[in-house]
Amino acid sequence: MSGDLSDVARLTCVSKRLGGRSVVAELDLGIRAGEVTALLGPNGAGKTTCVSLLTGRIAPDAGTADLFGLDPRRPAARRRLGVMLQSAGLPDVLTITELLTLQSGYYPDPLPLDETLALAGLTDLVDRRCAALSGGQARRVHYALAICGRPDLLVLDEPTAAMDRASARVLWGTVRALANDGAAVLLTSHDLAEADALADRIVVMDTGRIVADDTPAALRARAGGSVIRCRSRLTPERAASAPAVRNADMEGADLRIVTSDATATVRALLDTDTALADLRVADATLEDAIAALLSTQPERLAA
Amino acid sequence: MTALVATPTGIWSREAVAELKRTSRLPQFLVPTVLTPAAFYGLFTLAVSKSPSPEYALGTLAGYGVFAATGPALFGFGAGVAMEREQGLIELKRVSPMPAGAYVAAKLVAAVATTALALTLIDALAIVAGVRLSAAAWGALTLLHLGSTIPFALIGFGMGMRMSGKGAVAMANALFLGGSVLGGLWIPTLMLPGWMRTLGQVTPSYHLGQLARGIVGIDTVGTTVGHAIAVAAMTAAGVAWSWTGWRRSPA
Repeated sequence: MSGDLSDVARLTCVSKRLGGRSVVAELDLGIRAGEVTALLGPNGAGKTTCVSLLTGRIAPDAGTADLFGLDPRRPAARRRLGVMLQSAGLPDVLTITELLTLQSGYYPDPLPLDETLALAGLTDLVDRRCAALSGGQARRVHYALAICGRPDLLVLDEPTAAMDRASARVLWGTVRALANDGAAVLLTSHDLAEADALADRIVVMDTGRIVADDTPAALRARAGGSVIRCRSRLTPERAASAPAVRNADMEGADLRIVTSDATATVRALLDTDTALADLRVADATLEDAIAALLSTQPERLAA
Repeated sequence: MTALVATPTGIWSREAVAELKRTSRLPQFLVPTVLTPAAFYGLFTLAVSKSPSPEYALGTLAGYGVFAATGPALFGFGAGVAMEREQGLIELKRVSPMPAGAYVAAKLVAAVATTALALTLIDALAIVAGVRLSAAAWGALTLLHLGSTIPFALIGFGMGMRMSGKGAVAMANALFLGGSVLGGLWIPTLMLPGWMRTLGQVTPSYHLGQLARGIVGIDTVGTTVGHAIAVAAMTAAGVAWSWTGWRRSPA
């Protein structure tokens, strides 16, 4: 990305302990306008904590959190922020129209209600009370709450977790359009297909630190090479000692090996385990790239 | 980077209207909260002593009006806020640019409105029982009764930000009933055993009840100024308790 895009929000050398445990340590992260940034990492990596710090839900123990030049804990800083939380509920007895009218009123220059409803795909549900919504519909209301104030920074925490694929694609389209119009978007997701489809930039976190910060294409290229899957008696530790192996782990019953030279690795594997069966070789995906970065099981990402 | 943009006007009033709508759509909360104080007043003051003297009905009216204010405040704020927090509704507000004060004020408006409904019933019963007061005395008594909502609402709000929904309901019940008994809202303080009177002095119920008795001109314990100072101090403590609760990191 070009370097002249300015940060709309920034964590500078931020540390935070929660429940006696360090969750984020001396972390620097800037969010740029016009760009979709995806924050990925296993559970407990510190993604939610970063989002909480940037949206003013918690204050850092050390370092500074900055949102449009202000402390995110001040309501004024949040007038250009829209947030879609994963854990939040909806007030059961209000209708969608009442709720969105109330929320729009918090912002200086909100979208017209019709436009918000259309963007979130809620036009047919306007008079429905929130208690009567399905999980996917409730997520769309949360999305509407996040975008109704024309935010310059849109934070989406697991936006499509309870949505079907079709709704998710519609949402991706509108998020992409907002970013193209100059909004900054910060996305956390367990769904790597989502991150790959949406993000201009992927930040990978592990145990409270940033382990990679790059474009999806560059991350894929970094993983390089291929992924070998097979049934074998070898442990991942043994397999990791084969030539050219970047990472080895178990994926269900399969042994899964990321390698920069599939031919050399396969030759060594077949020599070591003569009973090896069901061998498959594929190009490395974004998921493989990130799993290699984390050096942990990919299940942790999908959890 | 320019960050300061104009504050939209009308947030506070729209928040209050939305909260009134929500309350009006929760009959399972509204009906018992409004009817209970009037039912107790009718039962214990009017029905039990077959033909109560207007003086007796007046004395208990002072206390039951405060009692009527504690229910909406403790249950609407305490249990209500705790449940909204558990449902993630407070998080929704916290990440929005809504000022915290608008949320509290809206809930307070709804609690005072609920109290007003309960008071209407109690005052009507009192008039039926022969209570007669000057317009000024009715006005002062009503203001005090409505205002009684505030200290209990602050106590409840601080509880709601710290406790689980179940814990807050239990605690609200304990304060609702305990405060009313110990504070002499049901049985006049002078008829209570000494230890209960001593305990009762730490409740806002006691001081508010005494202030109400002073307004209608019946026997009180202590001075008006003393009770007013106690109420003011408890309200200030409630503000601090609420504010620190709101600022707490979400668990």
